Amino acid sequence: MKTFDELKKDWQGQSQPEVPQDGPNRIIEKITFLKMGQRITNIILSITALLLIGFFFYVAAYNYRTVTMGLFLMVGALTVRIVLEAISIRNIKKMDVTEDAVVFRQRLLSYYKQRQKVHYLVTPIVILAYCIGFLMLLPSFKASLSAGFYTYIVVSSMVLLLVLGLFIIKQIRKELSLLRELKD
Amino acid sequence: MTEKASQFEAIYRANYHKVVRICEGYVNGDGPLANDLTQEVFIKVWEHLHTFRNESNISTWVYRITVNTCLLELRKKKYTKASAHLERIAEAEEDLTSTKENQLQRMHNCINKLPKESRSIILLELEGLPQIEIAKIIGVSHEAIRVRVHRIKQGLTKCVQHENIR
Repeated sequence: MKTFDELKKDWQGQSQPEVPQDGPNRIIEKITFLKMGQRITNIILSITALLLIGFFFYVAAYNYRTVTMGLFLMVGALTVRIVLEAISIRNIKKMDVTEDAVVFRQRLLSYYKQRQKVHYLVTPIVILAYCIGFLMLLPSFKASLSAGFYTYIVVSSMVLLLVLGLFIIKQIRKELSLLRELKD
Repeated sequence: MTEKASQFEAIYRANYHKVVRICEGYVNGDGPLANDLTQEVFIKVWEHLHTFRNESNISTWVYRITVNTCLLELRKKKYTKASAHLERIAEAEEDLTSTKENQLQRMHNCINKLPKESRSIILLELEGLPQIEIAKIIGVSHEAIRVRVHRIKQGLTKCVQHENIR
């Protein structure tokens, strides 16, 4: 029967690997790499947005009210979701890890509670807007596309919606379990 | 080498082992995952080094970052898989010839059962930090930490004595 002090001694006496010689340099290199990655992500998002706007004008979608509305709802829904995710990622990255653990835990709890609000309120509205937008586009798709391609678009969007839905449900369940763990 | 880089290197070398062990405590003793967490901790140390105001001991400051970063990073998928490590160990339990290794795994298993805050407290206590420092890291009074450490110590000792990894 070991006492706590004996356990503590064993804990401190466990074998340890050598301190990596190039460890500090590797960390500084990784930070530079991460910053470059963030810049690349921003560039890709900006190019995507520009392409979507360009496509809108290219097909002269503004001449067709229903198409315009449909595209607006779809792109708008996606944009809202992307912006909310970006804000969320920025907020968690900005969290001050030098605060004491009790304060930090409270901030983390508020963060996840805020995320729950987004998941339960904003996400269903975003998905609904996206679906309405898509349904509005269907008549023009049917008029201008072959029957085969039209069926392909309808089926593939249903699959996409299902996959996206499952992904979001998984994410919500994971965050709920994190919230429960933080509360205990 | 810049002044910041040399200061960082000194902090890294002085605190590396303790940070690794604390991180191991959050991922059931899984070495590779603990190394990843350690790297995240030192990235945060580098990023916040300019905010350190010598109001506390630098190691206290580093351990505070360690505890918070571990809590923050555990949301990532790879860290939630840490329990798989315990299963692997349980399967290979017969191969663990050293009783000491076995006991360390039991400790990790017991620590893993604790609520997050108690886990942080006991990991810092196991590293031999004075309770006043632990109180500063966690953000509660010295008296409250003294009571909680006593309670967690008793629970952990009992758990290690009676708990099997399986």
